[in-house]
Amino acid sequence: MAKASTEKAFYRWTRDLHLYLGLFVSPFVIAFAASVFFLNHARVDVGASTSTATFRDVTIPPGIETARGREAVDLARTIVNQVGVTGEIGFVRVIRKEQRLVIPVSRPGLEAIVDVDVSMRTAAVSRRLTGLLESVSYLHKTPGPHNADLRGNWLWTRVWRWLADGTVYLVLFISATGLYLWLAIKAERRIGFALLAAGAVSFVGLLYGLAF
Amino acid sequence: MASRSNRGIGAVLETWNRKLHYYLGLYFLLFIWLFSLTGLLLNHPRWALSRIPNEPNPPYERTIELPSGATDVARATDVARQLGVSGEIDWPQTTQTLGRLDFNMTYPKRATQIRVDLARKRATVQQVDRSFWSAFRISHTFSGSRYNNPGMTRDWWLTSVWVVAMDALAAGLLVMVFGSYYMWYRLKPKRTLGWIALTAGCVACGLFVFGLHSVISG
Repeated sequence: MAKASTEKAFYRWTRDLHLYLGLFVSPFVIAFAASVFFLNHARVDVGASTSTATFRDVTIPPGIETARGREAVDLARTIVNQVGVTGEIGFVRVIRKEQRLVIPVSRPGLEAIVDVDVSMRTAAVSRRLTGLLESVSYLHKTPGPHNADLRGNWLWTRVWRWLADGTVYLVLFISATGLYLWLAIKAERRIGFALLAAGAVSFVGLLYGLAF
Repeated sequence: MASRSNRGIGAVLETWNRKLHYYLGLYFLLFIWLFSLTGLLLNHPRWALSRIPNEPNPPYERTIELPSGATDVARATDVARQLGVSGEIDWPQTTQTLGRLDFNMTYPKRATQIRVDLARKRATVQQVDRSFWSAFRISHTFSGSRYNNPGMTRDWWLTSVWVVAMDALAAGLLVMVFGSYYMWYRLKPKRTLGWIALTAGCVACGLFVFGLHSVISG
């Protein structure tokens, strides 16, 4: 009797958590799913900048030309702030021969390149405004696997990293609780196992072609 | 009479909406786990499991017949056929030198660099073989195209099949999410807390999707 009521309570809790956590994470799932179509099929001319502007008398922080890694990014941030660009700094490219620094900056809605002439103390800023789907695709790929030492140099990238990870953990939780909730419906077990098996066959077949 | 029939259709739709929710979830379960786990690995490149070794095998040379075809893609496909190499054609950043045909062929398990000297009819081949785990991770981003590189197109059938699978998963997730909104809304006692959870999710996600455009950065 006690066992049955514990099971019922566990079922109810699982069902409610599946529902409420699912509702919370659903906008993120929509964002990640919708951006898949963009990432797989869209074509964007990234060379076409929306606007360009030149800034003069830019203060160049000492040591930026020799700095490496995160230190270089932190110094570059002082330049980027002066020209009114905010976002995640991709990297800092130093072109010594020409005494130039190239600093790509991005955030949802914007891709910018800050091209600094160190000797003239000028910065040419080209901006490309991105559409909604490209912005969501940017978030889909952020923070990503590249330049791990530099990634998260903008506060909102760090926050997004937490949310993206949280989305994964919640999706894993929801899929596990979904399995449990389905198993509780005895009438649906046979067709459910058939669909699980069909999914597993497609999955293994595709992965066999790609990973073996 | 009409309202009874409408209620009947409504009940059938409601039942099928619920069934579709878990049928799709069950069919795509392994795909959901694959993309969830590899998504975590992509976001945490410092984790030991995230590392992708890139040590190439020793290069080797093969004599080939002069590749046929009107385009570089056709010629590269012909060279790959002669060498028995498969994958998605990936062109180097630099432009092709006269008398040469240099390209890469990649798929999650293997990356192959092919450098052809057309005058000598010799191809130099170097391959990087990846572990199953590395290939598993690479499959997350393997689509044969990049939206910011319009010149890059899918040219391997397996990539196209994989992209269809990714699209199907994305569409399936959207159907599951929108179907779940309806199921939740029909549960009157769960509406208030549901609205709170959904609003919290919308605000958190909307801040990044819409807010960072204007509010934060001005």
